Amino acid sequence: MRSLGYVAEVPIGLVLALVLLVALGWRVFAGHARPATPLLRLSRREAAFVAAAAEALFPRGGAIAPSGLDAGVPAWCDRWLDALPAGTRLLVHCLFALVEHATLVFPAPGWDGWRRFSALDAERRGQVLEAWRTSRWFLRRLVFTSLRAIVTQGYFADAAVLRALGLAPRLIEAPVTVADTLYPPIGQPKSAIRFRSDQVQVHGPLDRPPAGAPLEAFGPLHPDYREGAA
Amino acid sequence: MSTAGSVHVFAEYAGDLRDEADVVVVGSGPCGAVVAKELAEAGRSVVLLEEGPPFTPADFELDGALSMARTMREAGLRATRGHVMPTMQAIALGGGSLVNSAICVRPPAFVFDEWATRFELSHTSRAELDPHFDAVEAFLGIAPTPDAVQGRRNLLFREGCAKLGIPCEPIARNVRGCRGSGECFTGCRARAKQSMDISYVPAAIRAGARVYTSVRAEEVLSSGRRVRGVRGRVVAPFTGAAGPTLTVSAKAVVLAAGCMATPLLLLASGLANASGQVGRNLQFHPGVAVMGVFPERVDPQFGATQGMQSLHFLREGFKLETLWAPPAVLAVRLPGAGLALKERLAEIPYASIVDAIASCHRSLGTVRPRRRGSLDPLLTWRLHPEDLPVLGRALEVIVDVLFAADARKVLPGVHGLPDEMGPADAALLRGRSYRPTDFVMAANHAFCSTRMHGAPGDGVVDEEGRCHDLDNLYVADTGVFPRCTSVNPMLTGMALAHRTAAALHDRL
Repeated sequence: MRSLGYVAEVPIGLVLALVLLVALGWRVFAGHARPATPLLRLSRREAAFVAAAAEALFPRGGAIAPSGLDAGVPAWCDRWLDALPAGTRLLVHCLFALVEHATLVFPAPGWDGWRRFSALDAERRGQVLEAWRTSRWFLRRLVFTSLRAIVTQGYFADAAVLRALGLAPRLIEAPVTVADTLYPPIGQPKSAIRFRSDQVQVHGPLDRPPAGAPLEAFGPLHPDYREGAA
Repeated sequence: MSTAGSVHVFAEYAGDLRDEADVVVVGSGPCGAVVAKELAEAGRSVVLLEEGPPFTPADFELDGALSMARTMREAGLRATRGHVMPTMQAIALGGGSLVNSAICVRPPAFVFDEWATRFELSHTSRAELDPHFDAVEAFLGIAPTPDAVQGRRNLLFREGCAKLGIPCEPIARNVRGCRGSGECFTGCRARAKQSMDISYVPAAIRAGARVYTSVRAEEVLSSGRRVRGVRGRVVAPFTGAAGPTLTVSAKAVVLAAGCMATPLLLLASGLANASGQVGRNLQFHPGVAVMGVFPERVDPQFGATQGMQSLHFLREGFKLETLWAPPAVLAVRLPGAGLALKERLAEIPYASIVDAIASCHRSLGTVRPRRRGSLDPLLTWRLHPEDLPVLGRALEVIVDVLFAADARKVLPGVHGLPDEMGPADAALLRGRSYRPTDFVMAANHAFCSTRMHGAPGDGVVDEEGRCHDLDNLYVADTGVFPRCTSVNPMLTGMALAHRTAAALHDRL
C-alpha cells in the first residue's frame, strides 16, 4: 500500500486556498433551487435570479397584493425568452448574468455583501437594485431599467395584478371585415379562414362613423382575465 | 404564375416560386400598401411582398411584451448605439399601421418650405401635396377623434391646455368605429383601426394585386441602369426560419420596406448609392413622456390611445400628445423598486400621460448592416447638444399642462430630477440643462436614410421617389423624407407614396 506521507507535504495554505475557492464558487455559481415547473429557456440559475429580482422589485404586501412570485414572473420570463429571436435572447441571458454576479464588483451592504444577487436577503437585494437605479453611471442605470422593464412586464402579465388595478382587458366583440375573409390564423392554411364573404359586416372604412359605442368601465372582462381563468 | 387578386400565406409555400408583374412592391406598411393599391386600381399587374404574416384578431396578444415579440423586429428590443434609444419596427402585413396609434397629421406648410429650400425640392410644397393627402384621407375616412371615445385621460390634457391658453385639438386618425379600448399598440381587437391589412391591402387584392406574406426580399435584381425584379425567400413567422425562394420579374421595383430595411436592401444589392447617402442622415423624433397623477380615478385604459394633441410648439421643435400603452411599458419610466414601486404602479388608474415628440433634425445617425450583406440593421445615432434644450423645454411644458389640469403630482422619469414633483417643484425645470443620458427617450418615427434631394450627388431619390441612379427603381417609405416632419409621419409617407404611384404609372 502506498504511503500517505505525501499528504503532509502539501502546503496547508494551498489546501485552504482550494477550499476557499470551492466555497466561493459554490456561493457564486451553484446551490440554486430546482424550479417548480420545467423551463424552456431559463437555466435553473437564471430562474433563481429572476425569482430573486421579482421578489425584490415586487415584494409581498403593499399597494398591490400579489408579489412578483405570486404573479409567476419566472415562468412568464421563460415563455417570453422562448418568443425572442436568438440574438436578442442571448443579450437577455447576458443581462441576467451581469446583475446576478455584479455584486462581486458592487457588493451589497454588509460584511458578506459579496454574494451573488440571488443569494442575498430580500432587503439587501432591494438596496442593490436601488444603487443601480440611482447610479451616476448611465450604463448601470440602463441595466437596471432593462431588468426592471422585463420583470415589470412579467408582473403585469398576471391577470390578478391587472384585475387588482382595474386594468384587465375587456371583452370586445368585433364585426366581420373583408380582411377576415382573406387571412387565416398565423401558421394555418387558408382553409382555416372562418368567415365567408356573405358574413362580412364592414366592407370599407366609410361603413362606420369615427366613434363606435365606447367600452363600459364595468363591462365584462376578456375571458383570459376573469377570476379562475387558466 | 399566380391567379389575379390573391394572398399567399406561409402554410401553403411548398417549393421555389416565380412570378412576374408590372411592379413589385417590397413592404406592405402604409407607404407600400398605398402604392400597391393605387397601381393595381390603375390596371397595373402588382406583386406585394411582406416579410411578416397577416394577423387576425385571434392572433393578437394582449400581453404587451409578448405582443411586441410577435409583431416587432428583434421582439421590440431594438435600440440605437451612440446614444442608446429604443426604436421599433413592425413585422406584419400592414407594417407599423397594425400597432401604431393611427395618428394622421398633415405637417404645416413651413415644414415643406424648409424641405424645398434646403434640399432643392421645387415640387414638394404643402399645396402640391394636398391632393395626395386628400386622396388618402378620403379613402381611410380619417377624422378627428370624437369626444365619445376620448376618455377622461385625453380630456384632462384639453383642460390643462385650455387653462394655459395653449391651443390643442383632437387627433385625426385612420379609425372607424373606435370603442376607446386603448389597445392600438397590441392590435385593434375592435377592427376599428384602418390599418393597411384591413384597408389598403384588401383594396389592392380586390383590384388584382397578388400578395405574398412571409417572404423576405433579399436582393433587387438589376442590369445596368435598370432593375429586373426582386429575389426573396420564404421565412417562417416569428422564428424567421428560411424556406424556398421567390423570384419576381418586374418592369419596376418599389422599395417600401421602411427607413431601416430599405437602405440595407439597397446596400446588399449594390444599388443606388453613387451619392454615398444610402443609410446616412438617419433622424428620429425622440420622445419624452411624463405621468401626471390626479386626485380622482382617471381609468386611463379607457379612451383613444392617443386622442389629443397640440401643434402649438412645432416651431419650437416639439409636438405634444396624450399617450396610453400597456401598463408595463409605461412603468419603464416610473421611479423606484419594491413597495415604493408598487405604490406608483397602483397610481396608474389615477394617471394621465402626456408625451412630446421632438424635431431633432440636427441629431443624425446611420443605418448599416450588422455584417456584410446582412439585412439586420446596426443603428447609430447621437443626440446633438443643440437639440437637448428642445427636450428640456418640452418637459417643462408637459409638466405645466398636467399641473394646470390639477394633477397632484407628476413623475418626470428624468435622472437628476426628484422622482415625484408637486406643483411647487415645477420651477426646478425652468432653464435647467440636461445631459442626453438624463432622459429615458424612445423614438418610433424614423426618417431620411434614403433621402430625396434635388441634386443627385446629395440624395438617393428624386421628388417622385425614383432613385437618381436607376431608371425604374423607386423608394416609398419615410426614408425618403429629407428631414423630419415635426409631426407623426405616417400620413406624409402615404401622401408621398400616392404621388410616387401616380408618377410610376405614367412612366410604365
